[in-house]
Amino acid sequence: MKLDGKIALVTGARGGIGRAIVARFIKEGATVYAADLTPHGSLNAHDDDGSIFLKLDVTQEADAIAAMQAVRRGQGKLDILVNAAGIEIEKTVEETTLEEWNQSFAVNSTGTFLTSKYALPLMREAAKSGSSASLINFGSYDGFIADPGLAAYCATKGAVHALTRAMACDHGPEGIRVNAICPGYIDTPMLQSFFNGDGSGGGGGNIETLQKAVRDVHPMRTYGTPTDIANLVNWLASDEARYASGQLWVLDGGLSAQVQQMKL
Amino acid sequence: MRLAGKCAFVTGGRQGIGRGIVNAFLSEGATVTTCGRGPRPGGLPEDVVWHELNVSDPAAVNIIAEATDILVNNAGVQVEKTVVDTTDADWELVMGVNARGVFNCCRAFVPLMPKGGSIINIGSISGNVADPSMALYNASKAFVHGLTRSIAVDHGPDIRCNAICPGWIETGMLDAGFDLADDPAKAKQDALARHAVRRFGKPDDIAAMAVWLASNEAAFATGQLFVIDGGMTAASPLYPGLF
Repeated sequence: MKLDGKIALVTGARGGIGRAIVARFIKEGATVYAADLTPHGSLNAHDDDGSIFLKLDVTQEADAIAAMQAVRRGQGKLDILVNAAGIEIEKTVEETTLEEWNQSFAVNSTGTFLTSKYALPLMREAAKSGSSASLINFGSYDGFIADPGLAAYCATKGAVHALTRAMACDHGPEGIRVNAICPGYIDTPMLQSFFNGDGSGGGGGNIETLQKAVRDVHPMRTYGTPTDIANLVNWLASDEARYASGQLWVLDGGLSAQVQQMKL
Repeated sequence: MRLAGKCAFVTGGRQGIGRGIVNAFLSEGATVTTCGRGPRPGGLPEDVVWHELNVSDPAAVNIIAEATDILVNNAGVQVEKTVVDTTDADWELVMGVNARGVFNCCRAFVPLMPKGGSIINIGSISGNVADPSMALYNASKAFVHGLTRSIAVDHGPDIRCNAICPGWIETGMLDAGFDLADDPAKAKQDALARHAVRRFGKPDDIAAMAVWLASNEAAFATGQLFVIDGGMTAASPLYPGLF
């Protein structure tokens, strides 16, 4: 098993992608702290999956401190941190209120900063073993190219990309690798919300038609699953990825490899 | 007159983007030479020198090469095929003109260019992201992008080298593409909706960037790829929403 003996903490661990990551880490032999606002998270279900639940609001510094203290007491180190907590507001700049803008940055960007800030000392402890520690952020293909009506979300993900490179630079010499995964369209509650939302995404159309339209624009003719993301997270977390750092890993079924697909 | 007193050599000046650049350079005061396969095209201003030249032929390029302040490698061809459908002859044509042609001209002209010279290669958004069934064209433009950076690195500070990456530019080829659609009007409407500026590019749009890159205003710009596509590749391929 790739992650035997490793200690991992995943934020947003009860969301669509987070849950798949937790399950994979456990399968690979890691001890996993599943951090989220509630044990149920966005899927309204709580798997008894063998993880250790930590209540964590990533926007709150005190929560981040408390979560890392719990890991320190229990394990004394942290090999893997996955910053998967995120929200999406489907609005243009003009439609976005300052409160919504601040909330987007609080969760997606500041949350990544806060959790990382207090995890890094524990990750340095882990790196003393000789194997590098792995910090994995969640960017998005939206940090490179824009989906309509997602202005704040796109901006927060661009910030995460830059933070990823900055942390890789600063903490590489300490044995900590930092990467970001940039998903495209992944079948999660967030995607279903996009289909059903008030933005320029769904607008109340037939969901099967929408899903087909999204699939058809992908070179792979499908959108991704949380398992697809967990597969790459698992690799980046493992020692096989010991030379991988500072990179933005786009996983989108080829969506962003192509130009606009005109209806010719 | 931002290019007064400068000499420019523009490949592929018969039509389209190349002709647009020739005209813009002339109006900014440059002395312009251009070239292409075949005889001098009608309508080319009399004070523009024309050479009959296939840029994929290194010996012919070496004979034509001259001292010039500005070199624009614009000549290009495209073959619309996947890798599997592409023949060896297609490879010779596309890579010969688009890749080897740019290389031939740079190798021949760089030693003759004075300090402060500017090379402008025409890359493409297709060198960054893939157009379907344009495998060799896409690859040839990625070559241009890579060579652009190499020349900038190797031949700075004497010579600057940049690439312009056009998106969809209104030429005869664009309309020919729409004519092949089941519903040409609808196809054009869909394509326009995918451009943030809601129009296609014109040769003048590319020429405007070429003038700037050729001018002394761009003295610190080198080794870069400048995308001019009306915002098309800034948006997700799902834009403007398939719903």
